[in-house]
Amino acid sequence: MTGISYSEALAHYQAAKSRDLKKSDMATDELLQAFHPDYREDSLVSLCVGPNQGDSCHRQLAELLQSDARIDEADLAGASIVQTDVLVIGGGGAGCAAALMAEQAGARVIMATKLRLGDSNTVMAEGGIQASIERGDTPQMHLDDSLKAGHYRGDPKLVAKMVMDAPDVIRWLIQQGMQFDLDEFGDLMTRRAGGTSADRVVYYRDYTGLEMMRALRESVRNSKIDVWDYSPVVELMSNESGHCAGAVISNLKDCSYVLIEAQTVILATGGIGRMHLNGFPTSNHFGATGDGLVLAYRLGAKLRDLDSFQYHPTGLAHPQHLAGTLITEGVRSAGAQLLNGLGERFVDELKTRDHVSAAILKECAEGRGVRVDENAVGVWLDTPGVERTNPGILAKRLPKLVELGNKCGINPVEMPLLVYPTLHYQNGGVVIDEHGQSTVPGLYCVGEVSGGIHGRNRIMGNALLEIISFGRRAGLQAAEMSHGRGHKKVTIGHLSKLRRELAVAGMPMEVKGPMLFPECAKFEKDADYEGFRRKKQ
Amino acid sequence: MTDKHSMREMGEKLVNVKIDGKAITAPASLSAIQALWYAGYSRIKSVGCLEGVCGSCRVLVRRAGNSEVRTQLGCQTLIEEGMQVMFLVFPRPTHHTYKLEEISSSWEVQTKFHKIFPEASRCRECRGCNASCPKGIDVMKGVALAARGRFREAGELFVECVMCDLCLTACPELIAPNHVGLFSRRVTAYFHTRPSNLIRRLEGLQRGKFEVNIEGEKP
Ligand SMILES: Cc1cc2nc3c(=O)[nH]c(=O)nc-3n(C[C@H](O)[C@H](O)[C@H](O)COP(=O)(O)OP(=O)(O)OC[C@H]3O[C@@H](n4cnc5c(N)ncnc54)[C@H](O)[C@@H]3O)c2cc1C
Ligand code: SF4
Ligand code: SF4
Repeated sequence: MTGISYSEALAHYQAAKSRDLKKSDMATDELLQAFHPDYREDSLVSLCVGPNQGDSCHRQLAELLQSDARIDEADLAGASIVQTDVLVIGGGGAGCAAALMAEQAGARVIMATKLRLGDSNTVMAEGGIQASIERGDTPQMHLDDSLKAGHYRGDPKLVAKMVMDAPDVIRWLIQQGMQFDLDEFGDLMTRRAGGTSADRVVYYRDYTGLEMMRALRESVRNSKIDVWDYSPVVELMSNESGHCAGAVISNLKDCSYVLIEAQTVILATGGIGRMHLNGFPTSNHFGATGDGLVLAYRLGAKLRDLDSFQYHPTGLAHPQHLAGTLITEGVRSAGAQLLNGLGERFVDELKTRDHVSAAILKECAEGRGVRVDENAVGVWLDTPGVERTNPGILAKRLPKLVELGNKCGINPVEMPLLVYPTLHYQNGGVVIDEHGQSTVPGLYCVGEVSGGIHGRNRIMGNALLEIISFGRRAGLQAAEMSHGRGHKKVTIGHLSKLRRELAVAGMPMEVKGPMLFPECAKFEKDADYEGFRRKKQ
Repeated sequence: MTDKHSMREMGEKLVNVKIDGKAITAPASLSAIQALWYAGYSRIKSVGCLEGVCGSCRVLVRRAGNSEVRTQLGCQTLIEEGMQVMFLVFPRPTHHTYKLEEISSSWEVQTKFHKIFPEASRCRECRGCNASCPKGIDVMKGVALAARGRFREAGELFVECVMCDLCLTACPELIAPNHVGLFSRRVTAYFHTRPSNLIRRLEGLQRGKFEVNIEGEKP
């Protein structure tokens, strides 16, 4: 409950004349160790079953990775069966890119998504997408920046593919009908991401994801792709040799299970924000519950970096019903500074996100945060400062920020906003190769659900790049691998092995996975959903 | 997420509302969706980003002492005393369909547009679309501009469109105004976005000018 009261802090903020950077007394490593949530000792456990047995994993995620399945054979008796070449799971950017490429390559494609096509983290993305296109910039610099920001834990081979794809990804998006901010001569405008060496982020206002999703959704809608909405996948299926061969969906419209048998499966289910790791608020959409990790892990896919997550430095700290809402890094690239309750600048705002977040947590832990009430503490994001040096910039380039300000009753042109780190991104995920192929044959994983590109920290704009770069790669490859005659026997046989292993390891069987919906939505209490279970008796 | 106890401790003002026919008492700072959850009801359909950009949570809203019924986004609608909220299901997708690749050149766009959206020139200026738009977009003007071939200008009006389809539901002429807006935006990018910095880089890549070395130094 420490901190400086709002009114006192506001007085400090207004009085402060110089905004010189306070000298930091800690190096990055030391700062992360002491204050970054990934390093909290009590938050990690070692996995007892599955392909990553013995690896360190966040406690809450481990609980789901080692959870019992939601279904068994009896549930599937009488369920209808549908066949296709490629099954894409997830209707965000990665899923759409993969589905469009697979369809174009001649495959029959079904896309099953949890709620509606486009309810995703993609549609919420603001800051932009990376592509080295400016004169002084090269793909090599993009590669070096990405690896360095990820603390050299990313897979250089994957990153190399991604940075070389980047300019063509932008062209492809333009061909889907996506607009970007252009200068007076029609060139792409670029801005700089924290922790990088060149202006490399292209964008559309602070609506980059909305613009991307609108264009992709319309492309998908006008293609032959068969979109199944309200169809969360509850389990993957495999053939007798362990090749992934489809999935079981629970149809929320008529409360029935449907089996989709596919030659290949592309998993594009996105991130984990709604698991609220370490009790943090999140910037993620409603369906970001880490389902893909659980589904893939059960089928035997190897995962990586399960103890590394991104806490974005600037989540809204107050009011409470909007807590966690993202304020794009674009605001800091535009020059906004972070100030503590004493009006002091305590960190270089364009350091990597993990560093900046840890620095904010340090200020708050040591009593220099701005305290609103017992729930909310934060630091100032000095938006008026940006407006002073560049009048009109907020309204022109960052309209979503201005709207967010309206919702909190604060005009960011005149008043600073209070920010606190928010759970934003899953750095790790399913191990893949350059085609998005996981360690399970026939199972491709693309987008936020996959791991290996961002190491232990992601830079702004690399996620949107990754989803299109690898989405397209996997879509093509999956279509190509779908020319066979189909699988003979497709089952959920892997679940008996899972249950045996869980029993041997003495794991509690009460937890059911995947999570599907955040706890607050009370899905488990839903009368319709109850109907699912009653039917089977 | 909203924690019941901390809310109570904060002594926040409680209000009475009716959501989908259920009488609910909840703190005034909650959205219609959060209020349903707060009261213990399940709600997953029509929920999406919870930030007003995915367009899923379409609701009808009627305020106390006012007979007007408005369409809004549920996650952006803060509850008020006496408010009534009804969640809407999604309409059937529009029948309009097109592929950008089938428009052979930018000279053809206007002709194609009227083939794809023949109803657009029959707008009866009823303003139903404008009244229904939760983002305050001048939808009707966008349709008129597109029908006159002014696609760039029309598209600019739809910058904040979240494709909630409320205007589509409202339009008596079945124009699908939001898809008209999106068509306008997409053809503008497809035919006219030709950034020289991007094109130069693509050329360089094609000539093999930018190989990357992954054996780079690592501290
Ligand atoms: C607020 C915000 C701002 C961001 N800004 C940027 C930015 O500026 N630049 C950048 O590069 N990155 C940004 N990111 C990150 C980036 O947007 C995401 O990492 C990326 O869009 C993920 O894409 P995806 O397709 O993998 O997943 P999503 O877009 O999240 O899509 C996943 C889809 O899978 C569905 N799904 C989930 N589980 C199931 C299931 N069991 N069955 C069926 N379907 C399922 C979901 O409903 C959803 O439709 C931002 C993220 C957020 C949250
Ligand atoms: S223009 Fe139509 S689809 Fe777009 S936000 Fe407004 S009502 Fe919704
Ligand atoms: S609702 Fe349809 S007919 Fe009425 S003004 Fe809008 S576009 Fe025109």
